Amino acid sequence: MKLNIKIPKIPKITIYGIDVIKNFLFFTLFIIITLLAIAVLISPAVSSYKKAKKEYLKTKYELDTITLSYKEKLKELNKLKSKNQKVLNDFKKDFNYKNFKLFSSKYMYITSIKEINKTTFDKNFLKTTYILKADIKSPKNFYNLVDALKNYKNVIRIYFPINFIKNKEDINLTLKIEHYKLKDAQNALLKAH
Amino acid sequence: MYSFTKPKKKPIFKEDTKLWLIFIGVSLILYIGFAMFLEIKVLLYKKDINKFNNQIANLNKELITISKEKEFIFTQKALYENIMVKNELMKNSIKNLLDLIPDPITLNSIYFDKNRLIIYGITPTKEIYNMLMLPPLESIFTQTKTYFYQMPNGWYKFKSENYLKDSQ
Repeated sequence: MKLNIKIPKIPKITIYGIDVIKNFLFFTLFIIITLLAIAVLISPAVSSYKKAKKEYLKTKYELDTITLSYKEKLKELNKLKSKNQKVLNDFKKDFNYKNFKLFSSKYMYITSIKEINKTTFDKNFLKTTYILKADIKSPKNFYNLVDALKNYKNVIRIYFPINFIKNKEDINLTLKIEHYKLKDAQNALLKAH
Repeated sequence: MYSFTKPKKKPIFKEDTKLWLIFIGVSLILYIGFAMFLEIKVLLYKKDINKFNNQIANLNKELITISKEKEFIFTQKALYENIMVKNELMKNSIKNLLDLIPDPITLNSIYFDKNRLIIYGITPTKEIYNMLMLPPLESIFTQTKTYFYQMPNGWYKFKSENYLKDSQ
């Protein structure tokens, strides 16, 4: 059976030899492709670009704020460290009997220092207790030693019992001293740098 | 049949069709190129965001470390000041106690403990001791006991035991 379908023939309109209908169809095709490209390619890309840029700027702002805060805190820390340099250094140093004897020689003659106990103090510190025996001329020497301890290179606490016994011209003094130092000075030193 | 013109190859597309196809093709390439450019920018932004996030995480860790370090410096400072203050207080309390000893009384030994003070000395009379030395000791300590031993010259050796109930 032969189908008898009539396809309408597009009329050919030409102006100065240009096929108007064909060009119009190509133009329509171009517009459709452009609109499709915008809908399928460009619009999602622009949207994700905007989203990414917004997130980028937000993260960058956050980073800048934290960097600024970090710099300020670091500056504060360094200032605090330099302000308390003596305290921090004193806690790192070991007790040296000879040095302490030399330091105290201005005020008293130390006859003996004996370590009696070593304990952990407040998790991070090591407390070593010594019994110190010395000869002094007057109690004033003892007061001066206590005052001078503020400038000594170790952190020393004078503790009870304290015994003054008169012996001819001198006074025999027996007392407890406690030396405080960082439990792990090496780690603290690394941490500080 | 003979023709005076030579046969020309018939092009598949006419000139204007070719132009349109090239124009549409170039436009399509430009659209795809632009979309790819944006996607590359997105990828670069995401890479930067990841880098920034890592830096933020590191800085946050550093901030925590700084905060801990500061706290530890304050702990050390507080302990140091506490020790120095306690040394000063102890010195002053010993000084004040020794300043209490009146002139006629001589001390042989004085023993300071946390809650206890033991004094050995010599007094010309019990009355002098009871008048000049006992009242201040009684005002400081909660319990005071004194033992006298008479010496051959008539003076008295004494032992004074003084106690505090709570640590001070």
